Amino acid sequence: MSELLPIVRLTLLVGGTATLGALPVAFALAWVLARWRFPGKVLLDGLVHLPLVVPPVVTGWVLLLAFAPAGPIGRVLEAGFGVSVLFRWTGAAIAAGVMALPLMVRAMRLSIEAVDRRLEQAARTLGATRWRAYATVTLPLAAPGIAAALVLGLARAIGEFGATITFVSNVPGETQTLPLAIYAALQRPGGESEVWRLAAVSVALSLVALVVSETLVRRAGRGVHVL
Amino acid sequence: MSFDVDVAARRGEATVGARFVAGDGLTVLVGASGAGKTSLLDMIAGLLRPVRGHVRVGGRTLFDADTGIDVPPEQRRVGYVFQDARLFPHRRVQANLLYGARDAARLAEVAATLDIAPLLRRWPRTLSGGEARRVAIGRALLSEPAFLLLDEPLSSLDPARREEAMRAIERVRDARAVPILMVTHDAAEAERLGDRVITIG
Amino acid sequence: MRFVLSLLALLLIAGPAAAQERAPLVLAAASMQEALTDAADAWTRAGHERPRLSFAASSALARQIAAGGRADLFISADSDWMDDVAKRGLVVAGTRAVLVRNQLVVVSRPGLPRVVATKGAALGKLLSGGALAMADPDSVPAGKYGREALTRLGAWNVVAPRVVRAENVRAALALVERGAAPYGIVYATDARAATGVRVAGVFPPRSHAPIVYPIARLTAGESPAAEGFRRFLLSRAGQAILARRGFTTR
Repeated sequence: MSELLPIVRLTLLVGGTATLGALPVAFALAWVLARWRFPGKVLLDGLVHLPLVVPPVVTGWVLLLAFAPAGPIGRVLEAGFGVSVLFRWTGAAIAAGVMALPLMVRAMRLSIEAVDRRLEQAARTLGATRWRAYATVTLPLAAPGIAAALVLGLARAIGEFGATITFVSNVPGETQTLPLAIYAALQRPGGESEVWRLAAVSVALSLVALVVSETLVRRAGRGVHVL
Repeated sequence: MSFDVDVAARRGEATVGARFVAGDGLTVLVGASGAGKTSLLDMIAGLLRPVRGHVRVGGRTLFDADTGIDVPPEQRRVGYVFQDARLFPHRRVQANLLYGARDAARLAEVAATLDIAPLLRRWPRTLSGGEARRVAIGRALLSEPAFLLLDEPLSSLDPARREEAMRAIERVRDARAVPILMVTHDAAEAERLGDRVITIG
Repeated sequence: MRFVLSLLALLLIAGPAAAQERAPLVLAAASMQEALTDAADAWTRAGHERPRLSFAASSALARQIAAGGRADLFISADSDWMDDVAKRGLVVAGTRAVLVRNQLVVVSRPGLPRVVATKGAALGKLLSGGALAMADPDSVPAGKYGREALTRLGAWNVVAPRVVRAENVRAALALVERGAAPYGIVYATDARAATGVRVAGVFPPRSHAPIVYPIARLTAGESPAAEGFRRFLLSRAGQAILARRGFTTR
């Protein structure tokens, strides 16, 4: 009934956009949480983790309120760019990105914290400014963890359902990613074979993501050895 | 005076610090383990902020609590050889050596002096303790420091390696024009290598 | 990295077609999936652009409309959610109508006793022998009707502790099909479409408010073809298509 290829394509588009969009935000947050000390740090940490602990439907609802044409962010998008993300794949990407963000921040933060600061100190004594030390020492050593965070984020984004359907509905071709397509198939009596097909594709996608991540990690990790 | 140091810092419950002046050549600070020797070097290098006092090296003020001067480590022209070498694991020996180097042409000369030329293509994790130590010295030397700090450079080396390392340090001491400050707990080492020995702690 | 980026670029170019913009966006209750898809097929075969159908819980859809989402038609599974949308002034005047009706039934796997007792303690006893699967009575229309009917028949208090709240009607149906619950309360249309379960009893129409599926055109809609599709659904041809799936038509 539903065609497989457009659904997979849309899922990859939404998941890929979500992950890449969340990447800089996650990295910045991970860095701040790993390296800075400031009042309210615990609060920021809690805020970042909200999508993890709050039911996805609630997150979707909050996004709906924010991005609706009448909402604070939606209003700006309308007035400034003439676009709306409701019922669009861009909205699905936002939902997936928000849900994937906490996982990415956690993994990145851990990998940044795992880099021995004494190595940064050594770089400083060799004439590197703080920023050069971060770029040439901390980042390359945190890279495998960052790559792992990316894959984790992608896997979460591809599997996102509750926030997506609450925020941008179940529009085939626009927001009906694999999880939503499985939901739709479950609605149909006799849709079981469809469900198995879609689920098999989901598993295949995850395996591909795993292989890609292993390659990335290995390439980035070449020569890296935890002291 | 090459070194004019008078600092103190809090480490947990205790306060560690020292006050000494020293001239050119190799000055050895001897003290028991845990006396705060590494913290002292960290303060001179700018990696640990003292709570009071001053650090002057070669006539240049690197830290002064009264006037608020605190030069960041990358501007102190310090060559710090850490007790744990701290080679960058994601770069080969050659890249490590050249990390802070201003003149790559000196690589061959320094490698020869420290007998590390055969190690250039190796990864740090494949080096022995002594080899890593010598690479760390070379890395510090190539950054053209105004002074050198050595933290227990002979610790945890077996006798053969210790001999190698000691000779390397002697060569550096004899060849270089920069003052060297070395800390150790071993009085015999101190006697052999140092132009002067100061007891702290 | 470059590989990933070029893959994305490819996807973006080959992505959702712009032509989709003109086709009407229909937000419809999940229970109407097959029937509406049939109707959309017929509409498309007649030469029109295929409408985009989004099936989800009426509650989620109503909220999306209330938030200002630009959809063209709304088909709700009960009057409450349509009232909610209408109250906000989001419905085009004169376009609200009852699209179809439905019956509320009790289903079970073959072999279990039919529901011959029609009210009170006897009914309650039968249905509370095991779990009773129904859509969530607090938020899903089918569940609301079910609770209303059982209350009117004097059986609700007895069965309430045994009720398993499903996310939607189809999920409740699945529970019965799989044997997780001996009885379930679903619509006649669901029972008809399912294999493996049969109707064990039909709730008297007067035991619950009429199960109507209102349809209306929304003020935020942008597609010129929306009204045409709405009229088609209400026409004799459209109604015949919907009736084939078990809905009760005018």
